[in-house]
Amino acid sequence: MAAPDLLDPKSATHNTKPRLSFSTKPITLNPREESEVVATVMKWKTVSAIFLLVVLYLVMGAAVFRSLEQPHESAQRLAILSQKLEFLSRHSCVNQSQLEELVKQVVSAIRSGVNPAGTLNNHSSLWDLSSAFFFAGTVITTIGFGNISPHTEGGRIFCIVYALLGIPLFGFLLAGVGDQLGTIFGKGIARVEMFVQWDISQTKIRVISTLLFVLFGCLLFVALPAAIFKHIEGWSALESLYFVVITLTTIGFGDFVAGGSDIEYLDYYKPVVWFWILVGLAYFAAILSMIGDWLRVISKRTKEEVGEIRAHAAEWTANVSAEFKETRRRVSVEIYDKFQRAASIKRKLSSELGLSPASELTLPKKTVSVNFNEEQERERGEKEAGLHGLTTPLAKNGGLFLNGLDPERGDISIIEHLK
Amino acid sequence: MVSRSADVRKRVKGDMHSVSRSWLLLTGFILFYVIYLLLGALVFSSIERPVEDRLKSDMEALKQGFLNQSCVNATALEQFLRKVLTANKYGVSVLRNSSTSSNWDLASSMFFANTLVTTVGYGHNTPLSDAGKAFSILYALIGVPFTMLVLTACVQRLMYPLVYAPVGVLQRTGMDPRPATAVHFTLLMVLVMLCFFVAPAAVFSAVEVSWSFLDAIYFCFISLCTIGLGDYVPGEQPGQKYRPVYKVAIMVYLFVGLMMMYLLLRTFHRMADLHGLTNFLQLPHCEEAELDDDREPIIEDEPERQSPASPRLTEEGATKPLEPGSQPSYNTINKG
Repeated sequence: MAAPDLLDPKSATHNTKPRLSFSTKPITLNPREESEVVATVMKWKTVSAIFLLVVLYLVMGAAVFRSLEQPHESAQRLAILSQKLEFLSRHSCVNQSQLEELVKQVVSAIRSGVNPAGTLNNHSSLWDLSSAFFFAGTVITTIGFGNISPHTEGGRIFCIVYALLGIPLFGFLLAGVGDQLGTIFGKGIARVEMFVQWDISQTKIRVISTLLFVLFGCLLFVALPAAIFKHIEGWSALESLYFVVITLTTIGFGDFVAGGSDIEYLDYYKPVVWFWILVGLAYFAAILSMIGDWLRVISKRTKEEVGEIRAHAAEWTANVSAEFKETRRRVSVEIYDKFQRAASIKRKLSSELGLSPASELTLPKKTVSVNFNEEQERERGEKEAGLHGLTTPLAKNGGLFLNGLDPERGDISIIEHLK
Repeated sequence: MVSRSADVRKRVKGDMHSVSRSWLLLTGFILFYVIYLLLGALVFSSIERPVEDRLKSDMEALKQGFLNQSCVNATALEQFLRKVLTANKYGVSVLRNSSTSSNWDLASSMFFANTLVTTVGYGHNTPLSDAGKAFSILYALIGVPFTMLVLTACVQRLMYPLVYAPVGVLQRTGMDPRPATAVHFTLLMVLVMLCFFVAPAAVFSAVEVSWSFLDAIYFCFISLCTIGLGDYVPGEQPGQKYRPVYKVAIMVYLFVGLMMMYLLLRTFHRMADLHGLTNFLQLPHCEEAELDDDREPIIEDEPERQSPASPRLTEEGATKPLEPGSQPSYNTINKG
């Protein structure tokens, strides 16, 4: 069996064992067959298993984050507290409550997007057309940075309605772009397959081309933008990479936002960033769906293997028990037969002794009527069950043949050949 | 033989026609999307800008007032404010009451991991250290598809009692399939809105002191669509009672709510399939239809080899517009 193609989910499902598929054309519930019931039961187990895994994953992540971040947080806290104390001590006419009040106001202003640090004379607003465009984009793609957010009631209500309509719209767009990406990719692969003269299996070609796709995409959509951001925004390399990943998976924390700092940006910077987000999202969606497909193929394969092992074990036990039953039956038949023969010989002898020794013993004919299919199947089954050695003397050798009593079951019926 | 080549030719022509049609549709979508964004930008701008200007002038007045009545000079104040704001960006507040609870205790870290993995990403507290950032990248890259897989699996399991069974019941009472699905979808939507928007919003507006009911609904919506702006995050008030339990409860709510949104979306997709919309707009079908296709491997093999729409890398695109991070496809790791 050729190795299932990891990349093509369709072929992966082709190569799986008996598929439990549901007919869903009419939406009515079809009378469920046994197999369907089994499938839903199994899925429940898989679901709970995966769910447990996710919970474990979360707990593990929480523990790691805590160990990594808490020291930093305490350090920050100490630093800012000492700053506050220093400020208060240096400027003795300010008392603590006044300062706290100011800070509270400042913080809430920040949350509204107004930055009181620095001169407030610069005329750049957070809600000029290009920034609002950017914000609308972050809402629709569900990235949701949060460095800008609506603060009026009207703004919020509009945001809800806007998102309700815009998110599906963007979803369709993304589907279209992703499809085109996939098409281009597939066409490229087909061309490569045509040109490649070497004897490489199709699977290998697909694997290699997927790797190339991933690498090339990473270069184009991750590494290059990260370098650009590092240069323009002045972030470190890790911060740029962090921003790219957080944005393209639509997590969108908002601690780093391209175009969100107080730098003089070129006019076309923000639209280009938006376009990059669109295509990058499609790329990331492709990658993540591939990862998901692989995970599913892996889980399916392990399920299959477990299923295969179980099937083997069941078959083996069935064979063994069948063989034992058969043997028992044959032995009992043989004993009965021998008894009958002994009785008839005794009768003959007694009649001969009593009458005349002229009659000859005719050699019983050796007729073999074999049900070939049965024998082959049984042989195969015996082979698999490893019981081959056990049954050959009974079934085949010239010495011993058994009377099959039940021709309906297709047993081998062979008349005994007296040696 | 002749008929077969004619068939092939017809199919190729049909393919070409559909290919050009798909390009047309795509450009149409992009144009529409750009227009939609522009419209949104205009509206947001006109609503929010005056408020922002007013806030700016308020801030300026506050600063001036502070500076006037004290001995602090402007530069010292600016420096101090800058430092406060940097600390605040990372969730460290300089105000008096918040020195006890940490942002990175186990419950909050788990909440953070959850927002990372469901791609909501509030951003009210973010990793400070470089190691934390690097770990977030790795964690997200693995955790996001994983979560999507779980959610999809759960939703598939839930479809039977919540969708197929009721629709079956409706059909048995004599309705046609199409109206039955439409009726069921509206009912489901109303139910989800009541249970996952209105009710939790009431709870949140009661527990969180500074939130109004509208704020709470806004929060629920922004979270369940995984936009996660982060301007409202529950459980962040200083002196919050039972904070760990509260945070875990919010996590559960987010997860289940997300699942229900998925379910809604899938039901809608099935309905659109049934009504022929997906065919018309050339969008990917709901994947159960594809399972039926898989049953004819022999026939499909040839055209599959030739047609370039190969590995359905991003096929599920449409099925996930709403949810998790709108990574439409990976959200719909629907093949399972």
